[in-house]
Amino acid sequence: MRRIFDTIRSRIVAGLIPLSIGLVGTALLAAVTLRQMRHAVADELAGLRASSEIGSGLVAMVFDEIRAAEQYLAAPSADARQLFQAASDEAFQYARRLEALGITGEDRIAVSRLKQLNAAIQVDYSIAHALKDLGRDGEALARSAAVRPQAAEVTRLVRDLSSRQAVKAAQVADRLSAASREREKALWLLLGGIAVVGLFLARWAMLSVQGPLSRLVTAAERFGSGDLRPVTVGEMPREFRVLADAMQHMADRLRRIVGEVVGESDRIAGSAGDLSATSEQLAASSSQVSSAMVEISGSADHQRSALGTMGAGLEELRLAATEMAEAADRTAQLGAEIRTVADRHRGDVAAAGKALLDVREVVQTTSRQIGELAQLSTAIDDFVDLIKRISSQTNLLALNAAIEAARAGEHGRGFAVVAEEVRQLADESARAAEEVTRTTTLIREHMEEVTATMTAGQAKVRGIESIAEGAARGLAEIVAAVEQVEHAALRVRVAAQANRQTAERLKQQVEQVAGRATAHASSAEQVTAATQQQGASTQEMAAAAAHMLEAAEKLRGVVRGLRV
Amino acid sequence: MLAACSRPSGPIVIGLAGPFSQARGTSMLRAAELAVDQINARGGVRGRLLKLKPADDSGSENTALRVAEQLYADPAVVAVVGHLSSDPSKAAARVYGAGPSPLAMISPSASSPDLAGINPYFFRICPSDVQHGPQLARFAWQTLAARRAGIIYVNDDYGRGIRRAFAGEFTRLGGVVVEADPYVPETRSLEPYLSRMRLGAGIDVLLLAAERPGAELALREMQTLRLSWPVIGGDALTGIEADGALTEGVRVSSAYLPDRPEARNAAFVADYARAFQGQRPDHRGAGAYDAVHLLARTITEAGAGRQAIRDYLAKVGHGKPPFEGVTGTVAFDTNGDVPGKQVVIGVVRGGRLVSASER
Repeated sequence: MRRIFDTIRSRIVAGLIPLSIGLVGTALLAAVTLRQMRHAVADELAGLRASSEIGSGLVAMVFDEIRAAEQYLAAPSADARQLFQAASDEAFQYARRLEALGITGEDRIAVSRLKQLNAAIQVDYSIAHALKDLGRDGEALARSAAVRPQAAEVTRLVRDLSSRQAVKAAQVADRLSAASREREKALWLLLGGIAVVGLFLARWAMLSVQGPLSRLVTAAERFGSGDLRPVTVGEMPREFRVLADAMQHMADRLRRIVGEVVGESDRIAGSAGDLSATSEQLAASSSQVSSAMVEISGSADHQRSALGTMGAGLEELRLAATEMAEAADRTAQLGAEIRTVADRHRGDVAAAGKALLDVREVVQTTSRQIGELAQLSTAIDDFVDLIKRISSQTNLLALNAAIEAARAGEHGRGFAVVAEEVRQLADESARAAEEVTRTTTLIREHMEEVTATMTAGQAKVRGIESIAEGAARGLAEIVAAVEQVEHAALRVRVAAQANRQTAERLKQQVEQVAGRATAHASSAEQVTAATQQQGASTQEMAAAAAHMLEAAEKLRGVVRGLRV
Repeated sequence: MLAACSRPSGPIVIGLAGPFSQARGTSMLRAAELAVDQINARGGVRGRLLKLKPADDSGSENTALRVAEQLYADPAVVAVVGHLSSDPSKAAARVYGAGPSPLAMISPSASSPDLAGINPYFFRICPSDVQHGPQLARFAWQTLAARRAGIIYVNDDYGRGIRRAFAGEFTRLGGVVVEADPYVPETRSLEPYLSRMRLGAGIDVLLLAAERPGAELALREMQTLRLSWPVIGGDALTGIEADGALTEGVRVSSAYLPDRPEARNAAFVADYARAFQGQRPDHRGAGAYDAVHLLARTITEAGAGRQAIRDYLAKVGHGKPPFEGVTGTVAFDTNGDVPGKQVVIGVVRGGRLVSASER
């Protein structure tokens, strides 16, 4: 049933067919009614005409019969006799025909009486004729006289019959007019029914157009306001369903595009998050580098002060050697003091060597961490590439969406704005990615500088080490010399001379070491400065990542306005 | 429940309509009762007894109409045997053959040609007057060697029918109908007709196309006038043989004579005599007897529904086997007539109607 009426055309046809059938039926009914009435009138009239014809025919024949009979009685002749016979046969036939009319009740009794009277009249005259033929005229006359009241009764009966027929005709006319009124009423009712059905069908057809149309408009308005969720438009004629399907199709496509945009923005946000985490890691690494540098710097100071202390010792040694030369007898005592001092210096030198080892370790750790940092910045490059690809893809999608929206026409105007937004966001993402690339390049350059500085620092530390070892060895020689002083007091003067020279050379060397330590400390400060610069770059990068995250969030916000 | 159950097991009612208050209806009533008794003695029909519902129509059309309406209105009545004569049958046939539940009628002796095919519910066991008139003319011409015929006829459909059929055939054979004189039941004397027939060359056969009273009147007046023409008559005269010497030698055409040689008929005549003090059945009785037996066979085979009975009867003789009765073979044509049946001429001998060939 629903399947049959699924187009507006079929509904209109379905409405028109019963109406046409109803109208044709009414017309047919009216025609049939008229025809029936005509037949009924014709039948009734034919019946009336027949009965009146037969009635008058019967009366005429009875009188013919009487005339012929009387004629024979007056002057018997074969002609008159034949005439009488023929008339009486004829009258009998009329009586039979009257009977055959199918009359009932009072008429039937009258007709049957007519038949009897006719038969009796015939018999009376036949006997009168026989008597006349036998020459018994008196009897014949008496016999024929008996006919007269019977003839009168025949006339009366036929007259009564006619008047009853007239009454019957009036009744028939009444009946026919009543029947025609009934039919007329039925026809009016039928026409009224058809009118009601017509109105109902018209309303049905209109509703079947209006309802689906308003539902389609509602659905289009929803799409326009950005609600792209599937719409159930319900049952509707096939013509509207084509439109509804096109709208659903458009909504599907838009929904799919928005879904992809949302996915992409999520991925951008994810990438930005990753970038920011990487930046934090980088910052942490930088601060580690900084603290290591501070430590290096601290150690260099310590070394310098230790070397200062050693210089003072050597000055004392030079003074003592001079004094030794001046006072040989205090040589042994002084020798002992020298050995004590030298022992103490050897321990200090060992401590300085140990501190240098620590510095080397810190520098190595720092350079390894910077290498790691360089690798991490390569990962940033990868992310940036990804972001660039995503933004170019988003740009393409936004273009497609704009084209689809243009194709959808009026209904797609809202989405065209959305597509433009998306395209701008994609451009912004691309720009942010560019910024990140630039920042990353800067960071990498700084890191390379730091690495170079670190390598130089390492070499310098190794030099300090070998000097420290030399100092240690010198002190051991001092100790041996002091022992030689102790053992050979005589050669103290010579030895004190030599000792003074050695002390002067040592002092020279210590000053050299101190200079190197100062250089080392300044290198460490340089590294610290580079590291601080790197930290600033990392912060810049983090800011860029935050910017990107913000852009992704904004994109997500715009897309979230579209409900899918 | 009781009423519903007792209804089908009750008797099957057959209407029986004729002038039972008159002598001519006696044999019909008796023969019908005899047939019903015989059938019930054998166990009835379909396990139910048959029951007659007699209705006296006095031989008048108006009474016949009233009686027919009563029988029609009784739903228990499944068919009617009757009416006896033509005019009441014509009136009643209009009632039985109309309305919402028409009723089949089988007349034993209504012989008017007008009845042929009057409606689909009319059947008769006897041949029509069209067969009686010519048979009488041939008998008068050949057997009686008559050449001049006089006719006294009752002035109604029956008398006129016989008159016309006889005159046609007799004239065709070469004879002369000297005169044809009508009478009505009220006519007190036929003497003028008879006296006039004696004039001139006279007549050598007198046809009484009359009912029994008119025929008796004519015969009495012939006796008075000492006239001795051979007298012939139609089957309406049947029963006249009971009048003794007055009617000795009168020839009557009939569809049935009790001395028909078949064993079935002999048994019927014997049973009838046993049941009714040695009486003999007439053609009306034999027709009614056959009609009841035919209905019994019909109900046995087609059931006790009005329409079923009519439809079965219409096929008797074509489609269904013909019915072998005491009056001969019954096979209906589409008019409900029995064209195959022969009219025979009987003669009154010693108060009995016997085959003319017995002489």
